[in-house]
Amino acid sequence: MKPTENIPGKNPFKVPENYFEEVNRKIISATADIEPAIVKKRIYHRLRPWLAVAASVAVLILLGYGAVKIFLPGSRNLELPEISLQEFAESYPDDTDLITLEESVGSLILFEEVPKVNNREIIDYLMLENINENEIYELL
Amino acid sequence: MIRLLKSDINKGFRLVVQRYSPKLYWHIRRLVILHEDADDALQNTFLNAWKNIGEFRNESSLYTWLYAIATNESLALINKKKRNSAVSLDDLGNYFVNSPEGSTWFDGDEAEVKLQNAILKLPEKQRIVFNLKYFEDMTYEDMSKVLKTSEGALKASYHHAVKKIEKMLGGD
Repeated sequence: MKPTENIPGKNPFKVPENYFEEVNRKIISATADIEPAIVKKRIYHRLRPWLAVAASVAVLILLGYGAVKIFLPGSRNLELPEISLQEFAESYPDDTDLITLEESVGSLILFEEVPKVNNREIIDYLMLENINENEIYELL
Repeated sequence: MIRLLKSDINKGFRLVVQRYSPKLYWHIRRLVILHEDADDALQNTFLNAWKNIGEFRNESSLYTWLYAIATNESLALINKKKRNSAVSLDDLGNYFVNSPEGSTWFDGDEAEVKLQNAILKLPEKQRIVFNLKYFEDMTYEDMSKVLKTSEGALKASYHHAVKKIEKMLGGD
């Protein structure tokens, strides 16, 4: 057995009779003349719980808004709907026929760049088309 | 108790004094040993508590807060006594047995005198830790709040204190 286990943790000290009643009275009467310093909490400390709640709510709102924007199907309105050419043509103004439309769209698709043609080739082409040379020079 | 302190500070403080004065007295007494010193330190503890009563925030911290004040008061008194007193703490074991003045408030048997002498030979911090654990069975969690020391360090401190005391008692 350990030596400390042989000795009970008993209190070997004594106090005078009715000591605690008397000392309590002394303490209370001594404090009667002294104003306790009640620490006034700073505004930040008072507001801190409310600020924490407000910050949490703001974070939740932002997360919720982000989730709605990302995951809801109706919110993907920036994407163009898939539509067939036929459907597109039907929705186009009535006085434009499909062939004209195809030509205009086709030319845009087929010729991404204007082909390079030199001046001489242009003049030769115009000559072949029986356009008067003088008229060409007047325009230049 | 905190609610009462907030609603009626005088009534609340009276309740605090009634509830804690015996516990704090015995804690102080084991550190300063003499009744007169313990009496002074106890009154100073409650005066300081009263002056700074706005510092504690909830019920669980009131107990450790009061113990911390009591410990500081005791250590201040011990240091003051070391400078001025003719009787040093190391000699108190013999003082209890031999002096009529000392033996008035001490009724321990021979084993308890030996134990007190061994405790008095411990370094200050170990002595406080040993007293709080051995006599008051304070949890390390509360002790760490009182002494502002980590629980691991307190466990190590108590372990060393017990080993030293066992060695001292075993050597007699």
